[in-house]
Amino acid sequence: MRVLPDEELDRAFAALADPTRRAILARLTSGEAGVLDIAEPFPMSQPAISKHLKVLEAAGLVSRRRQAKQNLCRLEAGRLKDVVDWLGTYREFWEASFARLDEYVETLSTGRSPS
Amino acid sequence: MSKLEIEIPPDEPVVIFHRVIRAAPELVFRMYTEPEHLRRWWGPRHLDLVVCEIDLRVGGRYRFVHRAPDGQEFGFFGEYRAIEPPHRLVQTFVYAGTPDNEAVETFTFEPVAAGTLIACRTVHSSIPARDAHVASGMEDGLTDSYQRLADLAAWLQTGISK
Repeated sequence: MRVLPDEELDRAFAALADPTRRAILARLTSGEAGVLDIAEPFPMSQPAISKHLKVLEAAGLVSRRRQAKQNLCRLEAGRLKDVVDWLGTYREFWEASFARLDEYVETLSTGRSPS
Repeated sequence: MSKLEIEIPPDEPVVIFHRVIRAAPELVFRMYTEPEHLRRWWGPRHLDLVVCEIDLRVGGRYRFVHRAPDGQEFGFFGEYRAIEPPHRLVQTFVYAGTPDNEAVETFTFEPVAAGTLIACRTVHSSIPARDAHVASGMEDGLTDSYQRLADLAAWLQTGISK
């Protein structure tokens, strides 16, 4: 598994901390979109959305390319997966531990000697 | 099975989790503080807790070592700061791979209808220290892609519902 350098992880987490930016990412899961299309459902100006997109871009979560006369934004799923993987290792440790603890307290309460 | 809830606040060096266990706080407290119990549950199944030394008094130390099937070992140690059975336990936590990062873990064990609500709040020395800690020492954990996808979906949904 790839582990992101601290500063990249920080940037990604800071970017994901904002609900508008998470909603933008959710929008991009259905495919590439222009800035105007992305801004459309939000009750804020297009420059405000562009600012959010810049933060997502700096965090490596979104990439942009110019096509015809507009900028198209795309979700960088690989980076998002890195972030989720990072959280996943921690989660796995504790989920695995607690699954064992569940079984263990069960063996104790039924009076069986733990294997 | 009860769900593990993890919070990673973006702006403070903290990790918080909650989990319900079907046992009384008295028993859960012992599960956390007695080696013969810890050996049976602490860490994923494929890691053997080969060292589990506990000096359970305020200022006393503990030391755990996990061994992976390939022989690789992961050490953890710390010191007890507060021991208040059965409701509260405070200890420092250091992963031996990053000995400069000392975190402080506060566990609370609250009686609930289903048993005990375990809450753990871990405070790291800095946000990068937290991030490094969460990522380190657990690299060999196997991945559960479905859970991650579910996490990711839930995370993104919190943005949409606003």
